[in-house]
Amino acid sequence: MLKIQEIREIIKLVDSSSIDEFVYEVADTKVKLKKHSGVAVVTEAPVVKVAPVAAPAPVAAPAAPVAAPAVAEAVQAAPAVDASLYKITSPMVGTFYQAPNPESPAFVKVGDKVGEEAVVCIVEAMKLFNEIEAEVSGEIVEILVKDGDLVEYGQPLFLVKEN
Amino acid sequence: MKATLKNEIIKRLVEANGEPISGQQLADEFGISRTAIWKHMKQLQEKGYAFETVKKRGYVLTATPDTVDDANISMALETENFGSRIIYEQSMTSTQAIAHNKAQEGAPEGTVIICEEQTAGRGRMMREWKSMKGKGIWMSVILRPEIAPYEAPQFTLVAAVALTKAIADISGVQPEIKWPNDLLIEGKKCTGILTELQADPDRVNAIIMGMGINVNHQPNDFEEEIKDIATSLKIASGKHIDRATLVAKILYYLEIYSAQYVKEGFEPIKSQWESYSCTIGNRIRATTLQDVFIGKAIGITNDGVLQLQLDDGTIKGIYSADISLEK
Repeated sequence: MLKIQEIREIIKLVDSSSIDEFVYEVADTKVKLKKHSGVAVVTEAPVVKVAPVAAPAPVAAPAAPVAAPAVAEAVQAAPAVDASLYKITSPMVGTFYQAPNPESPAFVKVGDKVGEEAVVCIVEAMKLFNEIEAEVSGEIVEILVKDGDLVEYGQPLFLVKEN
Repeated sequence: MKATLKNEIIKRLVEANGEPISGQQLADEFGISRTAIWKHMKQLQEKGYAFETVKKRGYVLTATPDTVDDANISMALETENFGSRIIYEQSMTSTQAIAHNKAQEGAPEGTVIICEEQTAGRGRMMREWKSMKGKGIWMSVILRPEIAPYEAPQFTLVAAVALTKAIADISGVQPEIKWPNDLLIEGKKCTGILTELQADPDRVNAIIMGMGINVNHQPNDFEEEIKDIATSLKIASGKHIDRATLVAKILYYLEIYSAQYVKEGFEPIKSQWESYSCTIGNRIRATTLQDVFIGKAIGITNDGVLQLQLDDGTIKGIYSADISLEK
């Protein structure tokens, strides 16, 4: 299922391109965009709610890639990932920092218990710092990236065993 | 609100342009007693405003203090909304820390947190930022654009353009932008911008934009270790700059460019950014947490990402790095 922001992004892309019509179909979801006198029309077929998917649906980016976030490739995470684990993903492309500065201890380490509002890392791009919160409460089971790594939009950063 | 009323009184006296206004007239206009007006005038005098009382005719404003207090900024404001709420103190730990709290409490877009002196100012990676009393602009602005988190980094370039314009307007000196948003004059830093996000995974709640501008520093106001890399608007322009007027101008451009970005996207601002850039076209060194890349900066993408052409010809997108010119 597409997120609202992904749909918004597609509308923007179609809007600024020479494409008149755009259809995206997968399983029970269908998104159809059609330009009508310069206005993008959105229709979405009824969708069946699905369980949290492993990776964000790869959006087929049409021609002009205007400010399109690089969507993470379907991540074939390390062998045998427990599907019941919650993935904390990156909301933007940027550099992953596990600590507020190189001298400080990491925000979290494997085995730590976190609450929903616990800051687990910072993702930074162009000197904009985004403190990422856990969003769920549970235990950090695995950290999937290294300090200083460039992470993609939607890329899983942590696996959390929910309470 | 008392502070606002004082600001209004000052604004009224400025607009009167030397023509005296009687206490009675002010009392009538603001719907309060003459005694209340007198008390406000007294408090304004304590803050550094000076009035001449022309016998029987009223007050004339003769001097404003060299501060960035709310009354001083309000009087120069030409915005629709930005700066309509200003939180001012002589001394704060860090405007950014206070702005975070205010944003969480729901402070509206355009709220300004500003002080004369920070005791714990900070920059990137919590590096210390020197904020000397009464010399610079140490402020944070709360923005609430309706954008997704992945779009937010571009806002730091938007801010650089707004500040560049404001500084050029007020000081007459045109700063250059070092990617992504340091402002330099003759290669020395006069302004740093630190931006932080309050966001849900798919929605920005607030952008907290902190800025430190060296305004009226003299060369020996800078400490030994930054002496060769820092400058101030006064050093560069040779004149004393009224900080409150500059703050008002910054808010003016921030409001305009922020609205333009939300409406039209990054494209129109990108070309302005490029026109002020001192990074593009030069051979630079980009130091990241893991690596050092050296190459020619050939441009920025539509996302604001720096495009670095390495010596083997490959192009490397830089999202986060300390940039320095490579000789």
